[in-house]
Amino acid sequence: MKRLKDAIDGVDLNRFRIWFQLAMFVLLVYGGYLAINLGNHLPMFACGFNQEGRGGICYLMPLQHQLARPWPQLFGMASLGVLTGFGIFWLWFIFLNKGWCGYVCPLGTIQDWITALRRRLGVRYARYTQDQFRHLSRVKYVLLALMILIPLGIGGGWFSRDMGTPFCLICPARMVLPLFTGDLSHLTVDFSSKTAVAMTVLGMLITGLFLTGAFVKKRFFCFFCPMSALHYLISRPALLKLRKDGDKCTRCGDCYRACDMEIKAIADDVKNADIMADDCILCLKCVAACPEPGALKATFATITIFESTEAGFIKRCQKGIGLDQPKR
Amino acid sequence: MTNPNAKTAALPYNRSRQAREAETMLDHITDDFDDNPPSMAYFYDLFRRAYCRGESIEREGVRVGTTCIHAPEELIYAFGATPVRLCNGSYHYDQIGADFMPAKSCSLVKATLGMLSSENAIPKTGKLDLIVNPTTCDQKKKASAMMAGMGHSVYELELPPAKESEQARVYWQRSVREFAVRLRQLTGKKLTRKNLMAAMAKTSRAQVAFRTLHNFRRKAPSLILGKDVFLVTNAYFFDDIDRWTDAVERLNAELAQREKDGFCAAQKKAPRILFTGSPPVFPNLKLPLVIEQSGGVVVADETCSANRMLYDMTSVDEWLLNNMVDSLADKYLKPCTCPIFPNNDDRIRRLLDLAKSFAVDGVVYQTFAGCQVYEMEQRSVAEALNKAGIVMLAVETDYSPDDLGQLTTRIEAFLESIKTRKRKAT
Amino acid sequence: MNFDPIMGRMTHRFAPVLLLVSLASGPVTALEGGCVLWISDTSPMRAEGAPARRGGGMGGMPMGGGMHSGPPMKRLWLLSGTDPQKAAFARGDADASVETLLVTPSKPEGESVPPPGEGHRGLVFEMPAQGFYRVYVTTRTLQERMLNLNVAKAEVGNFGHDGDEEEHDRAMTAPRALENAAIEIVRERQPKEGPFSQVRSGTEQSFIVLRKGLPVPDARVRFVSHQGWSKEVTSDGQGRARFQVVRDYFPPWGEFQKRFKATYLVIAEFDATEAGNHKDQPYTSVRYQATLSGSYYPSPEDYRSYAWGLGVGLLAALLSGVATYLYRRRRLRPFQEVRLDEKA
Repeated sequence: MKRLKDAIDGVDLNRFRIWFQLAMFVLLVYGGYLAINLGNHLPMFACGFNQEGRGGICYLMPLQHQLARPWPQLFGMASLGVLTGFGIFWLWFIFLNKGWCGYVCPLGTIQDWITALRRRLGVRYARYTQDQFRHLSRVKYVLLALMILIPLGIGGGWFSRDMGTPFCLICPARMVLPLFTGDLSHLTVDFSSKTAVAMTVLGMLITGLFLTGAFVKKRFFCFFCPMSALHYLISRPALLKLRKDGDKCTRCGDCYRACDMEIKAIADDVKNADIMADDCILCLKCVAACPEPGALKATFATITIFESTEAGFIKRCQKGIGLDQPKR
Repeated sequence: MTNPNAKTAALPYNRSRQAREAETMLDHITDDFDDNPPSMAYFYDLFRRAYCRGESIEREGVRVGTTCIHAPEELIYAFGATPVRLCNGSYHYDQIGADFMPAKSCSLVKATLGMLSSENAIPKTGKLDLIVNPTTCDQKKKASAMMAGMGHSVYELELPPAKESEQARVYWQRSVREFAVRLRQLTGKKLTRKNLMAAMAKTSRAQVAFRTLHNFRRKAPSLILGKDVFLVTNAYFFDDIDRWTDAVERLNAELAQREKDGFCAAQKKAPRILFTGSPPVFPNLKLPLVIEQSGGVVVADETCSANRMLYDMTSVDEWLLNNMVDSLADKYLKPCTCPIFPNNDDRIRRLLDLAKSFAVDGVVYQTFAGCQVYEMEQRSVAEALNKAGIVMLAVETDYSPDDLGQLTTRIEAFLESIKTRKRKAT
Repeated sequence: MNFDPIMGRMTHRFAPVLLLVSLASGPVTALEGGCVLWISDTSPMRAEGAPARRGGGMGGMPMGGGMHSGPPMKRLWLLSGTDPQKAAFARGDADASVETLLVTPSKPEGESVPPPGEGHRGLVFEMPAQGFYRVYVTTRTLQERMLNLNVAKAEVGNFGHDGDEEEHDRAMTAPRALENAAIEIVRERQPKEGPFSQVRSGTEQSFIVLRKGLPVPDARVRFVSHQGWSKEVTSDGQGRARFQVVRDYFPPWGEFQKRFKATYLVIAEFDATEAGNHKDQPYTSVRYQATLSGSYYPSPEDYRSYAWGLGVGLLAALLSGVATYLYRRRRLRPFQEVRLDEKA
């Protein structure tokens, strides 16, 4: 048991993540060809517009659809459907918490690939200042609110039906993920109505920004993701947790350096045990980058599954600096 | 004390008062204890050669003196230069340095200045091409101009006055980058990803060796005494880093064997002491030595001549040059528990964690007379420790051997009280 | 042969030259406008140009969507006329004999149902299971010594998005023709067609004329678009007739609806020399006539532009990329201006 634990704690997390993310990407983007269908309540961007290859559908799409129903329906019989839908989504979600973002989300994986490309090219990544961070961090809540209010407005008859699934229309996953199964049809501007023109132009603008953004900034889009905001609001009972023992923390900031989302609290907060912030993608890179035994750990239903250890840190850290065989 | 240099010139070094000071300390360290680990011989010999016989341990290439742990040694190595830590523990130099500093100043700063003003400074590490003086405490800051006055070329590495804010972090990253630019001018070499990686690997390997040694000290009963570990970490100041690491790895192998054999370096019931405060630097190992001569054992420390210097390791997310340098900068600032920063929470948490994880019975807090920042933190540290049920002894001392008797009495009483408490507890 | 009023009107309405050519190639035959019976799922009472459904649902989906309890209902109307927009309710003919057959997923051999009621009530049936439902209305009338045998057919899909794959697969592989139908038209499916697929204008669509399950060669097959534009071809050896579903929807931009549901009508005819009795009256020849209607929608190519989409996307990527690059080159933000260069 102890040996198994040591092996897990000493794992090369980045490599594990690369393969795990790849497997999940294949499952969710090409799974449809193998008749895999995980349903349409998945808590990450397995885009439903990837008609043929999808192995499941992002919950935001059916949610926006459901909310756009005429009000008498929505607040009548259909409310049950909305609630059960949310329930299924929630059950999926609490299983991995935000680990869905860091390990499963295909759009997140694509961003990591773009980051890997940048790293290969030797281009440095951008960082926000603390002020920018604070302001931008709110955007996702605004998007979440709009994503719920606009479909409600459609149901109430205030907005055009061309605004249906408003977030999907501007979400880069709609343009990017179908590309992987050869569907280019979303790289278009829809001229069928003024609303459609506006939404599709906005969508393409955001896709363009997404590509540049993801190149210079790690996990660029996750910062603005309304799914991430929704996750955080319901994350309290989640099973997978990121925990910190502040007493063991030296505040060396190694975790903060590793953090793709630039969450400073991970290094500085020594009071809260439940350390997952709203921008967190639970990639657990911070745990891997922590040299203090037991200071950071991932727990599943209170069982520790991955913990920071000195040996694990040294093993992972050595790889980059060619210390694999210490001289005798 | 008219001209101490004239006196050393008259006598061969090994017969000077300065050499005798080192020799007496080293003799105590080696002869007052049974069962010194055989692999410590390397370190005993190193100090005997450098401090007692005045042998040269010069190294090739550009030599960069550092007055504090804040100067990133990886950068210095990356430029093909060699760092030498200048913090000095000699009473002889302390007396010489008194000419530069007010009487009530820190012995360490005085001794460092004294050494730098000497023609044949011991240990003989060769002429310094540059002294990096991080702007830490007031006394070290003001020492800059004096060092420059002695004819040294001094670079002030600007450390922010506080470390928590993002502003401070970014400021410090800039300082470190500028330091790299200065080193480039000094050495005429380029800083590349490859040579910085190699330099970081060198330091990392040394840190891994240190951490292994550090972890062996968790064992109760103890496998190694604190006086030996202080000697090991002191050697890091001037020894060749690879040779040092090899020697520590050999020591670690021996400790592993000792552990297997169930060996005890101290009595089973010896009070386990955590040492903190002003740094003990050879030959001023007075206080740790007294503790261990009186039957205690120093199992851990929180000082910038040992633990704080080697414990914290760098993590790099992307191995690109600018990222690596920023990561290094973070390592030298963020985890630092130096009392010059406004907040001392990190230091208290570190002490509590060490006390807990090393099963410490008591804490000895050394303050050099004149080191205000340590004096000022003493109260809050004592309070926090007492709250956690750990007794603390605060000792104000300096490099002079005059207070040895008084110190011995106080330490013995402190250790006795710990033993009594332990007996009562069981 | 005779002047066709539909063709005549068509020519003056017709703007695109392309279609004129293709239509001119078809032989013109006589089809009396008044006596073609066909089934539509849109009541002629509805205003012209109504989109499929305001709910935005797919064509062929059941009505209501949870508004009433019980299985979904479908209502169809028997119309007469060859212009999808002008056709009127078929009037009952005392002389005609009408049989109505409903094929459901559970009864592939079909069951008789009462004939569609007079006029506006239409033909209403329940769709309890997922799958395709087909209605055949067979009308026999005697005209002098010739028997007119008209089979009007409609195919309606009932699928929910939550239906499981197996049910969909079963529906997609179920037989689509009746072995004992006197004559019928089967729309050939497009490759990769699913239960929710729609016919888009601009696509090539073929139909097969069958008689008792066997292909009928050399039948006259006519395709009539929503606007009444038509083309007639003769079925080939396999009974197949191919048409391009022409784009005939050209509203002003402000009124364009991408879910505009247009109805096409396919009519197949052939004559056979068969003798027999109908209602005790002898006949010497039979004119077989089959109809099938369906709906089609504007093709996305009509309103989507790759050039604009890619242009906007690339522009955004390029501008932000250049902006980032320039910012990094020229910025002198405090604390960031010192950058190290491996080569310098």
